[in-house]
Parts: sequence; C-alpha cells; structure tokens
Amino acid sequence: MTRDGNEGPTIGAALTRFLGFAALWGVLIRSGQPGDLAVGALTAAAATWASLRLLPPATGQVRFAVLAARSPRFLWQSILAGIDVARRALAPRMPLAAGFVAYRTGLPRGQARNTFATITSVLPGTVPVADDDTGMVYHCLDTGQPVTAQLAADERAYGKALVPGRAHG
Amino acid sequence: MAEFLLAAALFVLAMVALGFVRILRGPGDADRMMAAQLIGTGGIGALLLIGAAMGVGPVVDVALTLALLAAFASVAFFKAVTDGQPDDTGAAERE
Amino acid sequence: MNLADLFTVAAVCAGAFFFLAGSVGLLRFPDALTRLHALTKADNLGLGLVVLGLLPRVDGVLGGLKLVVIWLLALLASAAASQLIARAVKRSEPGA
Repeated sequence: MTRDGNEGPTIGAALTRFLGFAALWGVLIRSGQPGDLAVGALTAAAATWASLRLLPPATGQVRFAVLAARSPRFLWQSILAGIDVARRALAPRMPLAAGFVAYRTGLPRGQARNTFATITSVLPGTVPVADDDTGMVYHCLDTGQPVTAQLAADERAYGKALVPGRAHG
Repeated sequence: MAEFLLAAALFVLAMVALGFVRILRGPGDADRMMAAQLIGTGGIGALLLIGAAMGVGPVVDVALTLALLAAFASVAFFKAVTDGQPDDTGAAERE
Repeated sequence: MNLADLFTVAAVCAGAFFFLAGSVGLLRFPDALTRLHALTKADNLGLGLVVLGLLPRVDGVLGGLKLVVIWLLALLASAAASQLIARAVKRSEPGA
C-alpha cells in the first residue's frame, strides 16, 4: 500500500484498491470466462469508486501487507477471546466484572483509529463503544484484567499497519 | 462423513434458534439486532456445512450473501436509532 | 476414517461448541453490552473453526481461499456491526 509515484496519491490509491477488489472478486467467483471477467472488472471499478468516496486516502491508510504479517497474533487472540467468553458464559457462577475502561490512544481519529477499533473488537473481553478527541472507550467483560496495558501492546503491534491521515470531520 | 456434517449443521441451526429466544425476550432493540447478527454468522456456518455435506458448491455463495445482508441490517439499525441525533462517533461524519 | 476426516470432525465439533457457548452467553449474560461480547467473540471463533474443518474437503487451493475469505468478510461485518450496536446502546443509556 505504499505509494510514492509522481501521479499523485489518489490515482495510486485507486489503482491499489481496484487491484485489491479485483483479486477479491476473483477469489469469490473463481471463473475465467471473458463475460465473467468483464462483470468482475465493472464490479471492482464500482467498488473502487465507492471506497474512494466513502474512505478518501486522505483519512488514512491501512498497510495490508503489515497487517497480514500480524495475522498469527490476530488468530491467537481470536481463539483466546472465544475461550474467554465461552468460559464465562458456561461457568455456573458466570464470572463477570463488566464495565467501561477509557483508553488514551496515539492514533488520530479516522481510518487508522477505526481499523484499530475493528481489530481490538476481537480481543479477549473488549468491545469499543465510543471515541472522541482524547481517546476511546471500551466495554470490558472483566475490568480486573490489565485492559489498557493489553490495548497499548496491541497498538504497538498493529500500529505500523495503520497510517494516520489528515484529521477529518 | 456427510451425516456428520449434516448433524453439525443442524446443531448450529439449533444454536441459532436458541438465539431467537433472546429476540422474544428482548428487552431492547439492540438485543434483537444481535440475534439478527447471530443468524448471520450461524447461518453462514450451517450453510457451509450443508454445502460440504451435500456436495453443493453454490451454497457457499448463498452464505456469502447472508453475511452481506446481516451487515446491512446492522448498519440500517444504527441509522434508524441514531437518526437526527448529532453524531459523535465519526462513523457517519463523511456523508 | 482417515486423518483428514478426523481433523474435520475435531474442528467442526470445536466450532459447534463455540456456537453453543455464544448462544448460552446471549441468553445468560445480564445486559446488552456483555451479550455483545458473547456474540462477536464466540460465534466468530465457531465459524472460523467450522471453516478450518471444511478446508481439507474443498477442491484446490482457490476453494480453500474462498472459504477463508468468507470467514474474514463475516468477521469484518461482525466487528463493524458490533461496534455500531455498542455505540447505539451506549448512546441510548449513557450510564449503562
């Protein structure tokens, strides 16, 4: 997702996104027929147009290659999160100490922070519920856990994949 | 093997049905929305299992459509309950 | 029953267990936000394990890739939906 060509950020971003959508379409449809490919190209173009309109590159970028390199951590956390919830749901006494935890993040609002919120929503025991200029608010199943330390570790781990854009709104 | 996969699909569907109990008990709109999300995820799982058991490949595409519809339903829900209120989440700022 | 079938049975059973845990949590947890945890975490892992179990049975690498992409899309949709639901709940009952 790094792009520093002369043709300007939008064309480079558009091309990258188009190729990404086309690849996604190819995996999902799995057809090499000329007619299907034409439909796929049109679909990818429409998806690119919509994504540039809804998420302009200026609001931030996500480096998918870096994100993919973090996938073992992400998968392991998904498993821990599922086990954690299952344990609490099935235990007779249902150990819950739910509450809100504020987390100050270095990620500016925009796509970088939104992506971080999406990733951390699969972390054990946390769901992001709000954010403002100073930070984010998480709802936690167990406020006795070191939630903010965990989130800070994840910001370090995933932060390199999240390129902040100009603040929007 | 097909019998096992079908049984697993039925089990997942039974779990989705259990989620329906939450729709009936409520109490809030959010609970109803969550049960809809459950039908999305559980429905995909059941459809993938049925497709594998019966050897029907295109069922996978039905599962994909279900995922899409569940996502749209959640977004529509959010728009409906927050309609007309000032937004502080950043999610709807770029309209 | 060969090794691949054994793997399928084990992974699908584990996936079914997490669907069970998710639904039990949805019923038992005391309020909307805690129930949201049950839904997003347990069910997504359940679906992931079902997909994992079906991987040995697909035709070729592309078929497997398609299953994984479906899981990722479901994960993305679920993560986005859970945040929207959480924000809506938080807003309607700020003290919750």
